[in-house]
Amino acid sequence: MRRFFRRGRLDAERAREMQTHIDHHVDDLVAAGYSRDRALKEARQRFGNPTAIREEIYEMNSVPVLEPIVRDLRYAFRMLRKTPGFTAIALITLAVGIGVNTAIFTVVNALLIKPLPFPDPGRLVTIQSTIRTPRGTFVRLSGLDGRTFKEIRDNVKTMAVAIQGSGGWGGGVNLVAENQAANVTQARVSAGYFKVFGIAPFIGREFTADEDRLGGPAVAVLSHGLWSRLFDRDASAVGKTIMLRGESYTVVGIMPAGFTTGSPTDVWTPVRPNTSGEGGGTNYSLYARVHPEVSVEQASAEMNQIVPPVLLPSDPKAAAETSITSAVVPLQSAETTELRSPLLMLWGAVGIVLVIACVNLAGLLIARTGLRSREIATRMALGSGRRAVIRQLLVESALLAFAGGIAGIGVGWLVLEGLKQLSTHVFDFGYPMALDGRVLATTLGIALVTSVLFGLAPAIYASRVNVQGSLSEAGTRSVAGGAGRWSRRILVVAEVALGVVLLVGAGLLVRSFVHLRSLNPGFDPSQVTTAVVSLQDKRYEDAVKVNQLFEESLARIRRTPGIEAAGISLGLPYTRLLNMGWRRIEGFDPNEKWLNSNVSYVTPGYMEALRLPLRRGRAFSERDRDGATPAAIVNEEFARRYYKGADIVGMHIRVAGAEREIVGIVGNARATSSGLGGDSGPLIVPYIIYVPAAQVDGAFLRQVHTWFSPAWIIRSSAPTGTVVETIRQAVAGVDPLLPIAKIESMAEVQSASLARQRFMMSLVTGLGVVALLLAAIGIHGLIASSVNERTRELGIRLALGATGRQVLMNVVMPGVTLSSIGVIVGCVAALALSQLMRSFIWGIQATDPMTFASVAAILLVVSLVASLIPALRVLRLDPALTLRAE
Amino acid sequence: MTPRKKTDLLQGTLDMLVLQTLRLGPAHGYTIARVIGQRSDAFLQVEQGSLYPALNRLEDRGWVDSYWDISENNRRARFYRLTPKGRRQLQVETEEWERLVRAIGLVMRPVEE
Repeated sequence: MRRFFRRGRLDAERAREMQTHIDHHVDDLVAAGYSRDRALKEARQRFGNPTAIREEIYEMNSVPVLEPIVRDLRYAFRMLRKTPGFTAIALITLAVGIGVNTAIFTVVNALLIKPLPFPDPGRLVTIQSTIRTPRGTFVRLSGLDGRTFKEIRDNVKTMAVAIQGSGGWGGGVNLVAENQAANVTQARVSAGYFKVFGIAPFIGREFTADEDRLGGPAVAVLSHGLWSRLFDRDASAVGKTIMLRGESYTVVGIMPAGFTTGSPTDVWTPVRPNTSGEGGGTNYSLYARVHPEVSVEQASAEMNQIVPPVLLPSDPKAAAETSITSAVVPLQSAETTELRSPLLMLWGAVGIVLVIACVNLAGLLIARTGLRSREIATRMALGSGRRAVIRQLLVESALLAFAGGIAGIGVGWLVLEGLKQLSTHVFDFGYPMALDGRVLATTLGIALVTSVLFGLAPAIYASRVNVQGSLSEAGTRSVAGGAGRWSRRILVVAEVALGVVLLVGAGLLVRSFVHLRSLNPGFDPSQVTTAVVSLQDKRYEDAVKVNQLFEESLARIRRTPGIEAAGISLGLPYTRLLNMGWRRIEGFDPNEKWLNSNVSYVTPGYMEALRLPLRRGRAFSERDRDGATPAAIVNEEFARRYYKGADIVGMHIRVAGAEREIVGIVGNARATSSGLGGDSGPLIVPYIIYVPAAQVDGAFLRQVHTWFSPAWIIRSSAPTGTVVETIRQAVAGVDPLLPIAKIESMAEVQSASLARQRFMMSLVTGLGVVALLLAAIGIHGLIASSVNERTRELGIRLALGATGRQVLMNVVMPGVTLSSIGVIVGCVAALALSQLMRSFIWGIQATDPMTFASVAAILLVVSLVASLIPALRVLRLDPALTLRAE
Repeated sequence: MTPRKKTDLLQGTLDMLVLQTLRLGPAHGYTIARVIGQRSDAFLQVEQGSLYPALNRLEDRGWVDSYWDISENNRRARFYRLTPKGRRQLQVETEEWERLVRAIGLVMRPVEE
């Protein structure tokens, strides 16, 4: 066996050895008195045929089964190397198709298919309630208020339940431990939370019920990462004290490395469920594990008994009109509801690219076998069997597929890394993501199926070749060419049609993105820098302390030259906003109860910093402080929604702990869709009430700072670096221990609000361009090979007096015709599929004629160019030469 | 020239003869053929057509190994030498050969009519 692979070298040695044998014989014969010539003749004659001996030895060193395969492989290598153009295009096609598919499949697999990384993940559920009222049907997934949670916790028998408090919008919290300060991500969870996920702390314990109640001892569980950073993996960390938000907490446990429940967390503290404050709204997310002996249906039935009565309105009349059903839903699907449709759309887009790649490869293989019919016929004429020919062609396409698959894995890895980079802050992937065995197997499977499918058909076809015909016809009219061309035409139409579908999708996303980008922000975002600071800190639970920080830092900033305006607000435009209940004073309707609105506190200078236009009344001033009449400013959308657009300056509302006089109306600034407001889509026009930061109490601040952080907003023509330094120094000058969580220009905030749209748009557009390229390659290949096959015919035409232009048209027209058919088919398909795009596009119709028209035009132009390039060769044909060539 | 075919030698006998020859010391192909011829009083003419395949086979089985060296005639030649494994094989084959010769001898002894 060893010798099998070294046969070549061994054979050369053997030849030399035999030559020496003859030389020795000659020496002996010469010594015995022969003349040199006779001796040589005699020795050669005695030796016999060295080649025959060598062949015999070569044969001896072969392995019978391996022999033909190795020969086929070697031959395949040689054939592929001889046609570098074909090989490169085929490999690129495969690598791109497979690579992109692998990357997206990895994401889909990790998020939607692969079970959550917890023991018995099928039993992890959350709750979903469907509330039907005369005003409409609302689905509430996972979210609970404190009352509902207590009702569930105290009555449930089928599941272990736990909750997590909401929060974490706008930066982390401040932590001091072992003389180090850090900005960390905190999650507030109830007792039994880790048990529900089935993973215990690997040092220490989780929270007890006694710790998870109002006024209970302050304890914390640390992540493995934070423990490593702060305590250098010292087990004695358990029992030590850390300062979190200025309060001391005792560490009771450390979670194992890699533990995550979907979003990165450094420290967990007890949520201490409440029925007012945070627990007054649906701010808790429920996590539950169904007991082993209980079915999911039983758990659903139990929830349907416990939850609906709690959610019914207290007013008997309203209660009679409302029907509520509750059920448990798998945690995995609940967590990925938001991601599911964009991911599936991406997967669809990527699938189209893979299909186009396969179609392209099929076309290439067909063309190749067509061109090789003469070679195949020669081989069959020389006695090669059909099986051997098919095997040879199959080995070739399998080799191609295998190489393409390997390259595809490389491309996939690159794309996945790129996706991870691009998608930070867009999709919270949460769980780790790496190309895994299943994905690799799928990829190689796709590559092999593609190769066998599209290698076999042409292979069988080619082997049926009419040996005599294709040899005697001088090979210009290959038999495979006729039918092969037809299937290639269909493939080109398919390729163009699929390309149209993908490009229409991309076009709609681009147009929608352009629309969103062009929406009027309602203020002037240029030259504005923002800095977010978390005030979820024990030292800032008092309104006086908070306002002191605001006023002193703003005074320092305003003293700096080059600063035009500076102010502070809770939350920023283009981000998520706090929403709260409010009441009318004038025209109060007892049935109306609390109304909803976005609410933000602001300092004087806020409107000037954003250049938010004042429509009526006045802006806040230094006089709007404790002791003065409580004031409020609303925006136009608020006035429009609740007061039919009337001038409501001077009217009163109850909001944020006080009855307030509306002193002004300002223009609308955009916000992201998670707030309340008009204009559906990712960017909305929120209705909002602004209150002066100096006129809210400590309880209000404590509560809102759990979820939202204030932002310093500075307008300055100075370079950003200078402004950033000004903010840092101003904040540090008042409180050196207060870290700044995030500094961004307003333009960055604005652009981050469309990150997901930009991500989807770039990805689908990228895929569209790949599809366009592949389609162009397909058309190019078709025309190029038709020119090759028809060289003789075209030569005759030219010789008989056809002009170059006529011949050119004759060659190009099929390409244009086919792509026109493809464009029509594609447009019809895209029209049918465009309804699926509805949830991704805003400001345009899914049937946007502009998009369809430009995509059709682009494809026609590209196909014309792709046809022209190979066709131009016709003009360089010398009729005399082509006719003589055979 | 020599009408004798390699199959005239008993199957496997050539291998044994080559091994036996190499017991005298390393030798190249020409020497091996010549020594077998001489030692058999020119009765056994080893055909090159079977010698080299045999050497290839013996080397493949690990009974001999080879190296290039300068021959007595000052030419670069490939020398074969017996490996320990080959030595043991030769032992086995010699014994078997002797048994065969004795057995044939018994059958072929003169019959008294």
